[in-house]
Formats: sequence, C-alpha cells, structure tokens
Amino acid sequence: MKSYFLKRTLELIPIFFVISFIIFMLLNAMPGDPLLQMRMDNPRAFAQDPERLAELREYYRLDDPLIVKYFDWLKNIFVGDLGFSSQYKIPVSELIFSRLPNTLLLTVTAWIIGLVLALPIGIYAAVRKYSVFDYSTTIFAFVGISLPAFWFALMAIILFGVILQWLPISGIETYGVTGFWNVFVDKLQHLIMPAIVLGFVQVAFWVRYIRAALLEVLDQDYIRTAYAKGAKETRVIMRHALRNAMIPIITIIALDIPYFFGGALIVETVFAWPGMGRLMYNAVLASDYNLAINCLMFLAIITLLSNLLADVLYVVVDPRIKLDERKRG
Amino acid sequence: MAFSLKKKYDDLEQEISGLPVGSYNQLVFKKFLKHKLACLGAVVLITLIIFTFVGPLFVDTAYDDMDFSAIFAPPLSENHFLGTDEIGHDVFVRIMYGGRISLLVGIISSVVSTLIGLIIGLLSGFLGGIWDKLLMRFVDIMLSIPLFPVLLILSLVFGSGVFSIIMVLTVFGWMRVTRLVRGMTLSLRESEYVMASKTMGQNQLMIILKHILPNVIPIVIVTTTLNLSFAILSESSLSYLGLGIQPPMPSWGNMLQGSMSYILGTSTGQNPWWLTFFPGFFIFITVLNVNFLGDGLRDALDPKFVSES
Repeated sequence: MKSYFLKRTLELIPIFFVISFIIFMLLNAMPGDPLLQMRMDNPRAFAQDPERLAELREYYRLDDPLIVKYFDWLKNIFVGDLGFSSQYKIPVSELIFSRLPNTLLLTVTAWIIGLVLALPIGIYAAVRKYSVFDYSTTIFAFVGISLPAFWFALMAIILFGVILQWLPISGIETYGVTGFWNVFVDKLQHLIMPAIVLGFVQVAFWVRYIRAALLEVLDQDYIRTAYAKGAKETRVIMRHALRNAMIPIITIIALDIPYFFGGALIVETVFAWPGMGRLMYNAVLASDYNLAINCLMFLAIITLLSNLLADVLYVVVDPRIKLDERKRG
Repeated sequence: MAFSLKKKYDDLEQEISGLPVGSYNQLVFKKFLKHKLACLGAVVLITLIIFTFVGPLFVDTAYDDMDFSAIFAPPLSENHFLGTDEIGHDVFVRIMYGGRISLLVGIISSVVSTLIGLIIGLLSGFLGGIWDKLLMRFVDIMLSIPLFPVLLILSLVFGSGVFSIIMVLTVFGWMRVTRLVRGMTLSLRESEYVMASKTMGQNQLMIILKHILPNVIPIVIVTTTLNLSFAILSESSLSYLGLGIQPPMPSWGNMLQGSMSYILGTSTGQNPWWLTFFPGFFIFITVLNVNFLGDGLRDALDPKFVSES
C-alpha cells in the first residue's frame, strides 16, 4: 500500500515538470507585455525617460532566454515567491490566499449540494429501474449536462434576483452588514445561487453514474442471497448494495474535484464572486502575467492531486484490487 | 415480385430464428429508430441546421440591420418575432446567423479533433512499445491540464475569429478519442483475424485500414457527438466571456454577452429578458439534442448492446 502510494506520488514529478513547461510556454505565447500595465499606470514617466523601459526590462530580466526564465520561475515557486501582481500591486501569493477561501466556500457548498441531491436520486432511480421516476431522472440528467452553466446562471439572476428580488444578484456580501448572525445570513443569501448553479451540472452526471454503479451491484448473487434470507429491502440496499457501489462512486467524486474549480471560473465571473476563477479570468484579460501563470499552475496542481486522490482511494476502498495487476488507461 | 418473395423469405427466416434480419447497417438503423429520444434529436438537429443555414436566405434583414423604430421591442411584436436589442437588431435573425457560426464551429472542430484523435489512437495502439507509452503519457498530461483556463489563454494566443476558435477547440479536444481508440486497437490487435492477416503477409497499413478501422468507427461516431456538444458549449462560453466570436458577427455566446448590460433592466426600467433567454435556449436545445442523438447512436451502433425494451 505504502509503496503504491509512493510510486504514484513519484510519478507525478515528471508530469509536474511537463505540465509546468506547457503552461509556461502558453503564458509566454500570450500577447501583451508584462510591463504594459506599468506603462499604462505611469505614461508620463516613460515618455520622459525612454531608457527607463530598457532598464526595467533588464531589471526584470525579460530578455533572458525562455528556458532560463522557466527555471527561474520554477525555482521561485519552490521558495514560495510567486511575484507581484501588476494589476493589484500586491504579492500574488497574498492574492491567491485571500481569494482561495471564497472559492473553497463556493465549491464545497456546490459539492455538498451535488452529493445531497445526487445520492438519493441516483439510488432511488436504480432501485426502481425503468419506473417513471427512473425515466424522469434520465431526462433530468440530459438536461443537466446540456445546460450552459452561464446561461443557467443568468436566467437565475433574472428570475430570482431581478424579477422576484429574493436573492442578491452578485458579490459575496453586502457592504456595511454587521453582527455575526446578519453576516452569516447575508453570506448565505449570496452563496445560494452560485452554489446551486455550480452543483446542478454535477448532479446530472453523478445521478447517472450512481445509478449505473448501483445497478451493476444489484445484479450480483449476494444481493439475491440477502433477499432470500429475508432481509428487508432498505437493509439490502443500504448494507449490501450501496457499500459495494460506493467504490466507483467515491472515485468519480474525487476525480470531479477539478471540474468544480474549472466550472467556478464561469460561475464566479457571472456572479462577480471574488474567488480564484474570477481572479484568474481577470489576470488573463489584463495580461497580469505573474498572477495568471501561478493561478493556472495552482489549478493544475489541484487537478494532479485529485487524480492521485482518486487513484489511491480506489485502491483503499476496494480490497479486491491487487496493486500490480491494475492496468492504466 | 422478386422483392416480395425475398421479403417473405426473410420474414420466414426471422420467424424461425427469432433474430432480426438485415445487414449491419439496416440493423443499426432499425435500432436507432426504436430510440425515441434519439429520433427526436435527429429531427430537431436537422431542423436547426436548415433553420440556421437556409433560413437567412429567406429573410430580408441582415444580422447587423438596425431598426431604430423598434428598440428593445419585446417578442411577438410587429416585424420582430423574438424582439430586438438595444440598437434594434432583430433577435430572431441574429439567432439564425449566430447559430450558423455556433454550429459551424462546433461541427468542424469536433470532426477535426475526432479525426486527429482517431489517427493518434490507431497509431499508438498499433505501434505499441515506446511510442504507445510516450503518446499515452502525453494524453494523460494533456488531460490533467485545467481545460477551461487553458482554452481562455489559447483564445488570446490565437486571437479571436472563427478560424482561431476552431483551432483552440481542436487542440484540446482529441485526447479522449485517442484513449478510446487506442484501447480498442490494443485488443483488436490480438484478435485472430488480425493475426491471420499478419501471417498472410498483409502490410501494416492495410491491416489498420481494413481490419481495425471499421471496428473502431462506431465508437468514433459516438465520441464525435460528445465532442460536438462539448465544442458548442465551449464556444458559447468563450464567446460569452468575450474571447470567442467577436461582434458584430453574432454567435449564440456573444449575444448572451451583449445581453449582460441589460440584465438589471434598461434605463427606461424595461426588463429585456428575451435578449438573454433566446440565445441560451437555442444553445441548450442544440446541445440537448446532440446528446440525445449520441445516446441513440451508442445504443444502435454497439453490437453487444441488447435492447432492453
């Protein structure tokens, strides 16, 4: 077990280097100049002193060969120096850590909403196979995976925010709200719409997946045996079937973690939620090079880690798997 | 006469064996027709294609014609079936032209990326060895790069416009097809008829083309539909974020972006919900029906799938 975990972790190292290289090259291909923002902030100084630009290029070592810059960047990541954001004029790490809790709040809530909805619906659809309920979940799942998230978000804003005026339409809090309870309610009101929009698409995927996983188990002999021994249906499903069906379900839920972060980009942008996704979107648009590259790398690392988590969970929860026999792809 | 005799014979044979009769294609077609949602999907998609590609020929208004006498006209108003926007663009006409772009981008990029994925997958599976290892590792890596942010950056790199958005979606659209095709090729390579072909001295290219390719085609068709829905959704998301198709050329995504300014209502207190509702609704309907179609094709094309109805 330990050696398997170690092996998978070690495998991540070359992948990390390749991914970071791809990301680095991508960001370098991006149009715009890291000094652009600086020039726009202070056009007069640059107009008066044309040599200044060259000095700054020299100072920031912008004309170094790409490969040198790449290793410089990696070295800086390892010592925890992510550079300054040209937009916000504060260290990138500070920015990321101030936005990360907001994104975590949104994604974890969406994740919980997704699970709370998907588990019972998926289980019930599998147990009552080919019932009206089962067919409706099929349609519902198709609708869920076909809905453009941003449109869903916009329509929710129009309906609940503008027409009915039940919920705030954007942001994370109302300015000037004080008191623990008031702040809590206020945050919750801001959270509801984005979290539901983000969780909804995942519900659709998970329902189908949970249904399929459970159906496979329900066909097994030991389920029939359990029924034959006179066990009640709820007990058979909860105790015998679900426990075995959980193995693939847990894996897929871990594998989907990056999708939440990716989806958060659009949802955060639509709802003006001050999280990582929106931070990154703005960084890319504003050619805020340091911010964009480190946000992207951060997301890539999360993706790698959740793949690792899924791999390890898969082995941990399923005692039948012999490690050396497991084939990839 | 001969035809009806043959039919009678076929019916008789079917009665005896209890199995459906017909060529593979006929069987697939029959199975497909049984899948009601898939038939619905096919009909709706064909209608949408006719609507967006042929429809504009029958309308006098162009997508950038402005009708200043009808600004923010609601749907069903005179001359403007789905209403107008802030400068009197007809929403119905723009949806037609926008759909043209959205569908074109979706279809081209999904077909091209599927083809790329098919070729790489075939090569990887058939060549095996170090090539296979390298290619699959590369696919793993591509799959663990966070997709949407990268699409965002790529569309900045390539610039905006129809061609570059197709490029962007193609570059990151081929990996899943590759994985599937490679997996199937690996198992087909070990099959007896490929062995037989090899021993008879058939060259490798012909083996791939004649024996392996036809077997992976069904799975490729199904993944093309998956890629299509992915491409349409991504294009609209990118255009919505302002990085895809640029106005005045309409696409369903950038029409939604345009509607954002009026989401809280206009200066006169009107709420032009139709600007947001209709473009998104068309994206939704298109993707939904592509998914229906894909589901039906998967059931119909898979010879192992026994219809449970």
